[in-house]
Amino acid sequence: MKLAVISCIHGNYEALKAVLSDIEAQKADQIYCLGDLVGYGPYPNEVVNQIRSLEIPTCQGCWDEDIVEGLNACECSYPSQLAEHRGKLAHEWTNKEIRPDVREYLATLPLSLKRDNLCFVHGSPNSQHEYLLPSMDGFAALERVLSTDADVLFCGHTHVPYVRELADAKLSVTVKSPARSDAPQQFQATLKRIINAGSVGEPRHGRPNATYVLYDTDTAQVTLREVAYNYTKTCLAILEKGLPSIFAWRLARGMEFAERADDPTHVCER
Amino acid sequence: MQSFDLTLVAGPPGVGKTTWISQFLANPSRPLFYLCPCAQDAVDFARIGYCFPWVSIISDDQAADVLADLPDQAQVFIELGFHMDLGSPLLVALPGRRIAIVPPSLDSSEWHNWADEVIPSPNQQVSGELASASGKLPTIWRSPLTGQVFDPPSLDEVLIELTGGAYGQVTRLKGIFELPDGQAFYVDFVEGLPGIEYTELKLPRWLEGRPDRFSGLEIVGHNLEQKTIAQALLTCCLADDVLLQYQRQYQQLQLEDETVAAETEPGVVA
Repeated sequence: MKLAVISCIHGNYEALKAVLSDIEAQKADQIYCLGDLVGYGPYPNEVVNQIRSLEIPTCQGCWDEDIVEGLNACECSYPSQLAEHRGKLAHEWTNKEIRPDVREYLATLPLSLKRDNLCFVHGSPNSQHEYLLPSMDGFAALERVLSTDADVLFCGHTHVPYVRELADAKLSVTVKSPARSDAPQQFQATLKRIINAGSVGEPRHGRPNATYVLYDTDTAQVTLREVAYNYTKTCLAILEKGLPSIFAWRLARGMEFAERADDPTHVCER
Repeated sequence: MQSFDLTLVAGPPGVGKTTWISQFLANPSRPLFYLCPCAQDAVDFARIGYCFPWVSIISDDQAADVLADLPDQAQVFIELGFHMDLGSPLLVALPGRRIAIVPPSLDSSEWHNWADEVIPSPNQQVSGELASASGKLPTIWRSPLTGQVFDPPSLDEVLIELTGGAYGQVTRLKGIFELPDGQAFYVDFVEGLPGIEYTELKLPRWLEGRPDRFSGLEIVGHNLEQKTIAQALLTCCLADDVLLQYQRQYQQLQLEDETVAAETEPGVVA
């Protein structure tokens, strides 16, 4: 079975339409969405409508949660004072723009989805806000996958797609307890994978193209897809709808709008 | 009879006029004077003062008096920005050596006609073209920033945007910025040359309140969105309470460093 996994659409309806067309052309059997349907981009309601109308299983992203719960970011959400200022502007704009039924839908989204040996989350199994960066410590990365009881963990949030294999992991655990021997217990973990789907609507790889992944459940083959789309339409809509013009400039260059995690050792406290 | 050397240096933005002059200012064996007409709040003024404290910086209103009463063996350097009219009677009347620094690709120009000596710029990528495609001359935008302290990652980001053309076409950017660890940096960008150059200025660390020494930004370019640039810069500046918090941390670190240094210093044996 061929799965398409998309993430981080961020109100970029043009990018979503292009990706859905590409998924159709690739003949995927099922689409999963890892959240962040809204935020920064000019069409949050339209994106949510599209996802709902296609009944795409979706988990909640950090931006979706913020629109439901209000801003309560850990320091990892923003790399700078400037980014924080811009993130808040985008949040306030989205908060005003979003329809009540869309907000209600975002509130119903689960934090994770499971399918056989696959697990789907936005950031990490711990939180929608935690970044699983490709350079994250191997033990911590493995712990995140093991906590889901899955073999393959799909995530987004970093906006840069990657595949990370955690092979031949040997774990040694010592439990200190008066009732038990404190001899270390050895575990051997089977091959685990983290697959990051990148971003449909806010790519961060130096080009404006949208990214997503295809996953074949029979062969475990992963294909990272990069899809060109008419980003100038989104840029014009950003300007027309009164969002900061710098968002359009950055989108056209494949630069993040504001958020970006740099520290792979940071544990999100959200 | 008293004697002095006067050198006038002209050329398009980014060719290295100040750098060329600096090689002579580094040697304090003779009384040195520097003048950059119509640029009293220019970054070069402050940088020359910070890097070569033995050089007398002449302001426009002092120029006539100082030039009329120069000490014996004085060396005077007058830097002429691209906006200066080289044919003005005041400049024509000045008795001195005329140096033009021009891009190697430029065969003839008003600088060639004016100069006694033409020096090819080491910055080979600089075009020397002043006018934009529409024939407009570039604008110089200066913003004094004295007292402002920048959030370092925000400053990085805004400089990337500025030099990347997010707020108009920037052909030249020079700035002196204060950072929360008390250091001041000189920042230099020339369109056509790779990257943005950061140079730490060898100044005492300012860790008590807002720095009371010059910092500022100077941009040369076309279609500059001055209001938006000013807003973006302001967003990168630290508020009083945040600055205080940073300075307390750096003061503590400085104290610890001094304590370690004192403990490891060899004792004096009586």
